[in-house]
Parts: sequence; C-alpha cells; structure tokens
Amino acid sequence: MSGREFFTRRYVELGWNYENARATQAVRVNITNAEREEAVERLEQRGIELEKIAFLQNGYWIRKSRFSVGATTEYLLGLYSIQEAAAQIPAELFTKLENKEVLDACAAPGGKTVQLASLMRNTGVIVALDVGEQRLRALGNQLERCRVQNTIVYKLDARKAMRLQQKFDCILLDVPCSGNFAADKNWFRRRTLVDVERNALVQRQMLEEAANVLKNDGEIVYSTCSLEPEEDELNIDWAIKTLNLKTENIECCGQKALTNVFGRNLDSSVSKARRIWPDKTQGFFVAKLERRDRA
Amino acid sequence: MIKPLDEFVKRFRTHIVLDETLLVEKESKYYLLNKKLRKHISSDFLYAGTYLGEIRHKEFVPSFPLLNMIAKTDASKVYVDEKTEWLFICGRDVFKRGVKKTTGTAGKGDYTLVMNLRDECLGFGQFLVDSTEERESVAVQNLLDLGDFLRRERQH
Repeated sequence: MSGREFFTRRYVELGWNYENARATQAVRVNITNAEREEAVERLEQRGIELEKIAFLQNGYWIRKSRFSVGATTEYLLGLYSIQEAAAQIPAELFTKLENKEVLDACAAPGGKTVQLASLMRNTGVIVALDVGEQRLRALGNQLERCRVQNTIVYKLDARKAMRLQQKFDCILLDVPCSGNFAADKNWFRRRTLVDVERNALVQRQMLEEAANVLKNDGEIVYSTCSLEPEEDELNIDWAIKTLNLKTENIECCGQKALTNVFGRNLDSSVSKARRIWPDKTQGFFVAKLERRDRA
Repeated sequence: MIKPLDEFVKRFRTHIVLDETLLVEKESKYYLLNKKLRKHISSDFLYAGTYLGEIRHKEFVPSFPLLNMIAKTDASKVYVDEKTEWLFICGRDVFKRGVKKTTGTAGKGDYTLVMNLRDECLGFGQFLVDSTEERESVAVQNLLDLGDFLRRERQH
C-alpha cells in the first residue's frame, strides 16, 4: 500500500485529480521588525519581484529573484522569513493573540513560532516545544535572528505538555506528519500507508494532550502538510467525538474539508476545516477547534 | 550586571542597564526575560526571552540582540557602504575605503560595532588601526557578522 499509483488513486476517490505541482516560494514580513511596505521596497530595490498573497496578512510570493532570498541583509536582520504560503495560514487563524499565553506544541524549526511572536508583537508568552536537538538549535537561531522576545523553549514531547502545569489560551498544533509530494519530490517512493497510520496515531495523542492543557475559552489550531485523510479529516472527526471539541469556521484558501472519506461518513462539522490541494502552495490541512461547552 | 556581559559591553566604551532580576544563565548562555516570562519559566528551559550571548572557549560571544542593545548607546561605531556591508556579512574585514563615518572614540584594539548606512548593526570587530589614522588599510577586523546565521543554517 504505497507508491504513486496507490496514493493518486486515493486522491481521485477523494475528489481530486492528481497534478504534479511544486509550491511557489513565499516570504512573510516580520511586522515587529519592519513595516510591510518598507520590507517590500527594500527587497524590490534588490531586484526581487514580489506579489502580495491575497489570503495572507503578511505573505508575498517570490515572482522573480536572481539570487537566494535567504542571502540578503534584510533576511539576516529578521525583517522577513522564508515561509511557504500555506504554512503561514495556521498562526493567522487565532481570534486574538496579543498578550495571550500560547503553546506552540511542535515548534521547530521555528517558522510559525516567529510568526506567532510577530502577530503577538512580542507580548504575552509563547511556550515552544519540540524534541529533536538539531531542530531545537535551528529554532533558537530563528528566534535570535528575528529578535523574538516572548518565547520559552523546552525540549518536551507535545504528548507530555501537561508536565508544564500550565493552561493556554491558544494552542498551535502543527503536528509532525507524512508530508506531501509537492514539498518532497521523493514522497511517493518514501511513504506507505503504514507510515500515515502511525503518524495519525501520534497526532491523536497530541490532540488529546492539547485538549488537556487548553483553557476553557481557548482555541486550538491543528494543521498538517499531509493530504492523507487519516491525518486530517479522520483525526478531526475523532477529536470532535472523543475530546469534547468542536470545529469553528475559518476563512482561508482551499476547499471545505471532506465529510465522506472512502465511503465513511464523518461529523458534518468537519467541513469547517480546510483542505488545500497542491497548486501554488503545497498540500495542507487546517482546522480550528474550541471546547464544545464554550459559550 | 553579570560580569562577562558587563566586561564585553565595556569594550565598546559604553554601558547598558539591564534589570538583573530578569537575567538568567543556563549552561553558560545568558538570557533576558520580561516579568511575564519570569513568572512562567521553569529551570529546564532551553531558550528564553532575549538571548544575550554565551561563554564559548572562555570567551564571551554576544548575540545579535545584545549588539543591537549596544548599538542604541553611544558605543563606538563604523558605518560602511553597501559593498562593504555585504563583504563584511560574508566574513571579510572592513577596509578604510569602505568606511563612510565613525562615531564614538576608539583606539587600536578597541571593539566597534559595524553598521550599515540605515543604522542597522551588522556585527562587530576590533580596530586594527586608530580610527583617526588616515592610511588606507584594514580598519576593522571582523569578529562576528550577521552571516553567522547562514553558517549556522548550513551546519543544521
């Protein structure tokens, strides 16, 4: 149960005809360090052509650049970050971030942590967790480069977040996932359904722990860059039915999430989540969750 | 202030004021918290607040946020042209011809911040000649530049 044919046949069953896509490179202005207009003007003066991404607050497509956008003074000064467009969506979905207590449960290498800090204008507190040594070092470097001031990093598995003995207003659960072919040219050769199911199980454990450390009026944003419904709609359906959570409407690109997966009917509110098939962005899935008993 | 930090800042012939109750050291790395972080932090953290620098091989290695704090004082600074800016970021020393302006007093051996013409800190170095000397030569030896982030990324 692997290979291009196997997975693309599944995509057809889910309503999407496979097209080989490669995500267009994108950047995000770190608005705590630069005004959007200023950052854009400086990059354009260097000959980098940008186009505002309509569905994001601070994101721009790279239309043309003669050199790596990671090799400019502006990048090194933390005025912007290189961040794939779909990956910029989750942090923007929280209702309010300034002065909040935020958990970034799977934070490394830190692109979304920096984005959260930027949206929070360095107020409040971000607790950032991850487990890989190298990835945590990369996270520290990102925080330093982008002049983040409101984050505490712990080496801790998101499934053990209760050890922090803290509850959070906002939880970003950008879980480790199987990825997708648009972000990895060897994806079809590397992935099997067994991997997908193993990841889905870990993701459920993370969702459960996130629900345990969520304040009563808090919000969870769950995201993956996987196209496999086991890691996406099926997990959200499970969370709704098991963790006393409900989905909230979100506004972003993509289509309503599926409520019928391989013949299995899911809770109709799963459709409030978004499924993004690869095109200009990589494949992505995002859902916003709250407690069912929240007023 | 914590001694290695204090001594480092003094080499720029300036000083900065940091709230000592918000300074923390963890495995020879120094961080500046704010009151909210102080309330939430536990001892097993890996990184917190504003990273200030670390002791490496008995030398204090500053972070870029610390250099930015020093840049807000009357510390010695050399302002370099655009070409020199990128050469410096690539690890090169600063030649006198690339220097547009110097501020503060600095003599041979003193530390100086290296700034671009937008008043942004690119790193720091050490004067190899007196800042008032006229002769064409290497003016500032590169000790740390922003390109360090790229070098670290490559390591990862």
